[in-house]
Amino acid sequence: MKHTLKYFFSSCLLFSMVLVQAQETSTTTVKKETAPAKPKTETAKPELQEVKPDSIKTDRYGLRVGVDLYKLTRGLYDKDYKGIEIVGDFRLTKKYYIAAELGFEDKTTDDDRLNSTATGTYIKGGFDYNLYQNWLDMENLITIGLRGGFSTFSQELNSYKIYNPNPYWGEQPPIVDNKKYNGLTAGWIEVAMGLKAKVFNNVFVGFGVQLKMLVANTKPDGFDNLYIPGFNRTYDGSFGIGFNYTVSYFIPIYKKKTIIPTAKKEQPKK
Amino acid sequence: MKKIISFLLVFTFGLSSCEKDDICDPDTPTTPRLVITFYDINNPTLLKNVTNLKVIGQDKSEVNGGIIFNESGDETTKYLANGSTISIPLKTNAESTTFTFISDSQNPNPAAINKDAIRFNYTHQDIYVSRACGFKTTFTLNPVSSSPPVSIPFVLTDADGNGLWMQQVFVINPKIETENETHIKVFF
Repeated sequence: MKHTLKYFFSSCLLFSMVLVQAQETSTTTVKKETAPAKPKTETAKPELQEVKPDSIKTDRYGLRVGVDLYKLTRGLYDKDYKGIEIVGDFRLTKKYYIAAELGFEDKTTDDDRLNSTATGTYIKGGFDYNLYQNWLDMENLITIGLRGGFSTFSQELNSYKIYNPNPYWGEQPPIVDNKKYNGLTAGWIEVAMGLKAKVFNNVFVGFGVQLKMLVANTKPDGFDNLYIPGFNRTYDGSFGIGFNYTVSYFIPIYKKKTIIPTAKKEQPKK
Repeated sequence: MKKIISFLLVFTFGLSSCEKDDICDPDTPTTPRLVITFYDINNPTLLKNVTNLKVIGQDKSEVNGGIIFNESGDETTKYLANGSTISIPLKTNAESTTFTFISDSQNPNPAAINKDAIRFNYTHQDIYVSRACGFKTTFTLNPVSSSPPVSIPFVLTDADGNGLWMQQVFVINPKIETENETHIKVFF
């Protein structure tokens, strides 16, 4: 328990740092682009107009499908966990992507006083916005997006302990219950931040962090949802957190030619 | 676009106000104790303080197996109650609990010490509290019933053959769910 917590928080810390770094690099790249671009446009303005055909860039549009490796591999070393998540996104416009995740989880939560198992499937859908300005034919993504999530699941209370602040008669051993609560549902919204890098050809590796807020939660009578598939661990409030590590394949469907915006935008201004 | 990003940022920071729920807060109402209040038999509306009352659970040592009423007391005085209200823990995994109530336990004159035994009969329910606290047990004292099924909330017996010092015992609230109310009234 202590170790998983420690692991969880240290990984959170790691990702928060990565996030900060991601934002920093994205802003600096923007700065780099804008700062030298301004003096250039004044001197090389006629040149740009002439070289127009060269500055046309082809953007590939298509479907990216992948799998969450973290969930997949966790089942190998964690006997309390089985799960899979399929991720997919479709490029709508230059910056916007429709994104969805579909998954199944079976997780046994072993707390100090409770032991319960949650099993169920979930679906998440929403959009991603790419903040990253790609150079030439690069296709990397630093995304921020919104998702709506929905899960149907069941919970089984395996065992519990009675909390007695006055253990005059001694601490009672855990009570084995094995009571199953079926037909539970939960809905949430999440802010997803992610990073996807093209490693070769059409293969992308990425990871994402999601901050979640529970909006609907049917609690079982006489118990609580301690773990919701897709939402992960619940807290006293409606807050939740999650992350994934994905490997995905991009299936190109069509191409669109765009003129590099720096040249196009500055022409009508002057 | 900037609006969306700023909205997302606000949302993100709103979420990150972390909540701690791994430690069971001692103020959380969990398994309650049985609250007994003592009244004057001659003036039933008046509270009456007990003198050096010692309460020993069944099969516990009379010397150091009493219920601790006074955490700050020494080896002898921590087991002694001198107020008009005591709270005693019931067994969470049984249908009855027996106690011996020793009145005036520190009196050098053995004749002044009076022991009464009382057995409480009840049913218990386990109720979910939270992830950190787990479950709590609440109790319901059995109703008085002479027709089958015969049941009685408590059985009072004289443990040492010198009469009952607890002259009248009444169940005020058979549902033991919180410690904020009196469940049993004792007149002496």
